[in-house]
Amino acid sequence: MNPLDLLRFAAQALLQNRRRSGLSLLGVVIGVVAVVSLTAIGEGALRYVTTQFASLGSSIVNVSPGKNETTGGMPHGIGGVPNDLTLQDAIVLERRVQAVRAAVPVSVSTDIVSYRERGRSSRVVGVTSEFQQLQRLDMDSGSFLPESELDRGAAVVVLGHRVAQELFDNANPLGATVRIGSWRMRVIGVLQERGQQLGMNIDDVALIPVASGMRMANKSSVNRIMLDLYPKSDSKPVIAQVKKILIDRHDEEDFTCISQDAVLASLSSILGILTLVVAGIASISLGVAGIGIMNVMLVSVSERTDEVGLLKALGANQRQILQVFLLEATMLSSAGGLIGLASGTALVELGNLLYPRIDAATPLWAIAAVLGLSLGTGIVFGVLPAWRASRLDPVAALQGH
Amino acid sequence: MIRVEGLWRTYQMGDHELHALRGVSETIEDGEYVAIMGPSGSGKSTLLNLLGCLDSPNRGRYLLADEDVAGLGDDALAETRLRRIGFIFQSFHLVPRLTAVQNVEMPMIFAGIAPSDRRRRAESSLAAVGLSDRLGHKPNELSGGQKQRVAIARSTVMDPGLLLADEPTGNLDSRSGAQVLDLLAELHAGGRTLVVVTHDPAVARRADRVVVMRDGEIVKRVQGQDISDLNGLFDISSEDDPSKQDLNTAREGDETEAVVPEKPV
Ligand SMILES: Nc1ncnc2c1ncn2[C@@H]1O[C@H](COP(=O)(O)OP(=O)(O)O)[C@@H](O)[C@H]1O
Ligand SMILES: [Mg+2]
Repeated sequence: MNPLDLLRFAAQALLQNRRRSGLSLLGVVIGVVAVVSLTAIGEGALRYVTTQFASLGSSIVNVSPGKNETTGGMPHGIGGVPNDLTLQDAIVLERRVQAVRAAVPVSVSTDIVSYRERGRSSRVVGVTSEFQQLQRLDMDSGSFLPESELDRGAAVVVLGHRVAQELFDNANPLGATVRIGSWRMRVIGVLQERGQQLGMNIDDVALIPVASGMRMANKSSVNRIMLDLYPKSDSKPVIAQVKKILIDRHDEEDFTCISQDAVLASLSSILGILTLVVAGIASISLGVAGIGIMNVMLVSVSERTDEVGLLKALGANQRQILQVFLLEATMLSSAGGLIGLASGTALVELGNLLYPRIDAATPLWAIAAVLGLSLGTGIVFGVLPAWRASRLDPVAALQGH
Repeated sequence: MIRVEGLWRTYQMGDHELHALRGVSETIEDGEYVAIMGPSGSGKSTLLNLLGCLDSPNRGRYLLADEDVAGLGDDALAETRLRRIGFIFQSFHLVPRLTAVQNVEMPMIFAGIAPSDRRRRAESSLAAVGLSDRLGHKPNELSGGQKQRVAIARSTVMDPGLLLADEPTGNLDSRSGAQVLDLLAELHAGGRTLVVVTHDPAVARRADRVVVMRDGEIVKRVQGQDISDLNGLFDISSEDDPSKQDLNTAREGDETEAVVPEKPV
């Protein structure tokens, strides 16, 4: 049988029973929409994380105290780990590691920041002037922390956007004196709004010189050292060098050194696995849809036994009859696949309009897989009904049973 | 030439066997027009299906042009039906979603004939049955007589040597029935072998030969002039007419009729 004739014949048979064909096709459509949109969300999350890291600058190496066995996890933030990193470590690293543009020691504590009768609890982060470039921070007004000796802590503060807004409303905070715990600090700048970024919201912090931060927390060590590398430097040798220097200084590896890229890579692979799992679950619904197709085809064969008998009487052989019915099932499932792809894509685009921050897009592999799966579904679940049709006894079939 | 020898066809019905054919032997020459008559359940359709290679006998031989059909595999049987045999059924068996011309094209699709060629042949086949103006009509837009003419066009479009018709006028009024018989006569005149199962004496009258069956056996062969002499011999409609009852040699068969109602084939 000529393929075009086969196609036309199968299509006409499907169109004869529009509602039934439509319903079984709907099953496939739903399965495909599920796969298409869920993988799009996964991909969107991945892109989101990637761009977030890019805006942080991916050539950052983090050194935090304590040996983190599960390398690849998120770096430690606050407290709970041995405080072994000192300002001197930062100075040495910046001086001795070629690729390091700046080593920024970071101290973190939480305190009440207040102005007159208003106060709010904020993360108080001690950093250096280099932190601005490292984090690519833009100023809303005023200026960032000035360059100074590491151990000299001036009584100045740069407020995150929200902190400034909550304490000052629309008044100008520059030059005002705020209280942080029992300390008084002069506001010299306000950061531009940035929003949530990988678990930390820079809008909610108060930035002060690291020496002031350490004094406030009454600590002699810092919570981490962030190394800002020169553009295009490879983080691997940097990490090796950092380790060597710090082990020399500490006599043991009591710190964790990890590059931002490594964090990104492990996050990406977690998201990738999640996406796969979700897609796998969604594709189970395709299997269910396949059973629907099989059911419809079995009904169709039993309703059209007299037609099968006729085809045999007219001289169709078993292979041709098998082809006709198998093609019907395959057309159902692949039409479902295409419609599902189109409506799934439309759904994803709609989602993108509603939530522009996440740029969801179905990855190519998912599109290929879903089309292949829906085609395969029709073939796999169409074989049994088609085989039955091809084996019908023509005399009995012509009599309709 | 078609030749069957000692054909048996037995159906297993639970614990007992039903013999639809009990050792039927017959020879039909090329170009002959044979009518098979007999009461319902006598095995006429069973015999026709065997002749059409749709079914195979439990015992006996079937030689189609000197070739033993028993030796043919499924594909070869399909090929035989495709190229050498045309079927015409009582209930037409047109595919409802296809137009007249598409229905006629169907065998040619299985034969892999190119679309343009196919179309031309289907159209001329429909023209031969007087349906040139109904090419694009679906079966539900055609009368019974027109449907049967489409079916005849379909059965001849592959130009088979043997045409098998099972009660071709059974669902038609007498006028369309007569038209169909005229067409069959034309096809016969064109050299085809024609085997027609019928209750209709009008059909039998046009045949070269009538074969009468009863209980799975051929009980009588009537030839030539004798057919018109035995006018009304097998006319079912004559059952209620006492004047014709005496002539009805198949009378005992008619009693079976009441027990086994006729199924449309
Ligand atoms: N598929 C079948 N299974 C069982 N019995 C059948 C089957 N087909 C036909 N028969 C029986 O075989 C006998 C002959 O049937 P058939 O050839 O259709 O008779 P006719 O066409 O002369 O009316 C009948 O008794 C019928 O019931
Ligand atoms: Mg019959």
